[in-house]
Amino acid sequence: MAGIFQKRIGFSGVVLLLALAWSVQGQVRLRTSSAYNQITVEDTGGYRLLRFNGSMETRMWLPNPLFGHFEYTEYFQMPLIFNPKPQRMLLMGLGGGSTVRAFQHYYPDIHLDTVELDPKVAQVAKQFFHVKETPKHKIHFSDGRQFLRLNKTRKYDAILMDAYTSNQFGTHIPFHLATKEFFGLAAEDLTEEGVLVFNVIGTYDDWRSDIVGSMYQTLKSVFPNVYHFQASDTRNIVMLAVKSKEPLTSTTLKNKVAALRSARPKLPKFFGPRVARIRAQAPKSAANAGVLTDDFAPPGGLLKSKKR
Amino acid sequence: MSEARHNAWGRQWALGALVFLGGFEVMVLEIVGARFLQPFFGGSFYIWTSQIGVVMLALALGYAVGGRLADRWQQARPLGMMLIPAGIFILLIPNFAGGMLDAIMERYAVATPIEVSADGGGQPASELIGELPADVLEGTDSGAPSEAPTEPAPEDAWTEVPPFWKKMAPALGSAVVFLLPCFVLAMISPYIIRLATQQVEKVGTLSGTVYAASTVGSIAGVFITAYVLLDHYSNTTLFRATGWLTFGLTGLCFALDLLWPESSKNESDSAE
Repeated sequence: MAGIFQKRIGFSGVVLLLALAWSVQGQVRLRTSSAYNQITVEDTGGYRLLRFNGSMETRMWLPNPLFGHFEYTEYFQMPLIFNPKPQRMLLMGLGGGSTVRAFQHYYPDIHLDTVELDPKVAQVAKQFFHVKETPKHKIHFSDGRQFLRLNKTRKYDAILMDAYTSNQFGTHIPFHLATKEFFGLAAEDLTEEGVLVFNVIGTYDDWRSDIVGSMYQTLKSVFPNVYHFQASDTRNIVMLAVKSKEPLTSTTLKNKVAALRSARPKLPKFFGPRVARIRAQAPKSAANAGVLTDDFAPPGGLLKSKKR
Repeated sequence: MSEARHNAWGRQWALGALVFLGGFEVMVLEIVGARFLQPFFGGSFYIWTSQIGVVMLALALGYAVGGRLADRWQQARPLGMMLIPAGIFILLIPNFAGGMLDAIMERYAVATPIEVSADGGGQPASELIGELPADVLEGTDSGAPSEAPTEPAPEDAWTEVPPFWKKMAPALGSAVVFLLPCFVLAMISPYIIRLATQQVEKVGTLSGTVYAASTVGSIAGVFITAYVLLDHYSNTTLFRATGWLTFGLTGLCFALDLLWPESSKNESDSAE
C-alpha cells in the first residue's frame, strides 16, 4: 500500500517537474479556463500540446497534425475490423481532437457525433487543433450519459469512450460513464454488431491495474466479448467490447482484416501493427476485480479490487 | 441530589448526541446524494452547486421552523415524531428517487433541429488536413470514397437539454430528494437550544456549543462519507443506514422525555 502511494507521489512529481520544464521551454499559445477546466495550449519542439488542469490531453505534430498523437487514439479505429463500412460513430470526449482529425482524414465517409461537456474545449479544438464541424461531424455539448439517455432514434456502429476529468494529479474516469448501467445504455444504442471502445488509463500488472481489472469485468458484464490493446508509448489500455456473441479466432480475425483491407484499400500504415497488439484473454487483475455499478463505484481508486 | 446530577448528565449527552448526529446525517446525505445524482444529471459541477444550495435552503427553513416549534412544544417528543417520516423518506430514497429523477431529466429535454455549421461555426477552418501533400501521409490518400453521397442525409432532430435546464434540472432533482429530510434534520439544532436553555444569561454559551457540536458532526459526515463509507458501501446501503439512524434519533428524543425529563432543570438550577 505504502509502495503504491510512493509510486503515485513519484509519478505525479515527475509529471509536475516535466510540466514545469515544458512550461519554461514551450511557447504558451493560450491559457484560459472554463467551468470545468483550466486549459493550456502550448507549442514546444514542433509539437502542440493541450493540457487540462496540468494533465496532458493531446499532443500534435505541428508540421503535420496527423502525426504526434498518442498511440492509444489509433485503437479507436479498431471497430472497423468488425464493420468495414460503418454508418455512424459516437465519440465521447473531444479533447484536442486526435480521433476526430484521424477519422476526418482517413474515413471521411463515416458520420461522427462528438459529445463534449465543455464548450470551451470545442472552441480550443477548432481554433488550435484543426477540428472541423461538417455535415458529417457534429459536436454536442452534453454529459455523455445524458446524451445516450436522450437518444432514442440513432443507432451507432461504434461508441468511442475517451471522457475523462483531470486535475494536476492525473485523469479520472467519471464514474457514471463506467458502470454496468451505463454500458447497458450504450449497448442499447449500438447496432447489432456494434462495438464500444473504452480508453482505460492503467497497466496490466502494476499502476492502476485494479481499474483495468474492474473495467474489464464491468464491460464483460454487458458485452459478450471484450478484447484489449496496450498502447506502447503511454500507460493506456484500450478495451474493445463487442456486441456480437461470436468470439474472434485467429482465422476469423485474419478474414475480417482481409475483408477490411479490400473494402478500404487505403488504410493508414499503422493499422496492421495496431491490430497485431490485440489480446483476448482477461487481464490478470480482472481475477479479483468487481463490477462497477451506479450503486457502488468506490471513489477512492475506482474499485479497489474487491469482489462483491 | 446525585440522581438529579446523573439525570442532568444523561440529558446533556442525549442533547449533544442529537445535535451531532443531526449534523452528521445532513452531510452524509449531501455527499452520497452528489454521487447518487450524477448518473441522472451528468458529471457536471452543477450537481455540487445543487447539493450545496439545496442543503443550505433546507438548513435555513429547518432552523426557522424548528425554533418556532420548539417554543410552542417545549418537549423532545414532537421532534422525535417529525423525525419518523424523515427517516422513512431517507430509507426509501433508493426505491422512489430513480424514477422521479429520470422523469425530471426527460421533462426538460427538448427536440432541437439539426443545424450543422459547415463553415465550422465561425471558426477559421483548418485547411491543413485537406491540403496536405500525399507523400507526407505515408501512402494514405485523402480522397473521399467514390460511393460517398454528395448531399448530407436527412435527419431527425436531436433531443437535448437546453442550457438553462442543464443548470436547474439538477437543482430540482436535488430538492425533490434531499430538501425534505434535510429540512427536518435541520430543526434539531434550534429545537435543542430551546430544550437545553436553563438560564438566559448562558444562552450565548449554549447556542455556541450547539452550533459547534452540529458543525463538528457535519464535518465528520463529510470526511467519513467521502473518504471511507463510499469506498466500502453502496449508495443504497448508506441511505438505508441513514434512515435507521434517523429512527435512532427519534428514540433519543423519546428517551429525553422519559428517562431524563426536564423536571431536573429546576433542581439543577437551584444546585448552581
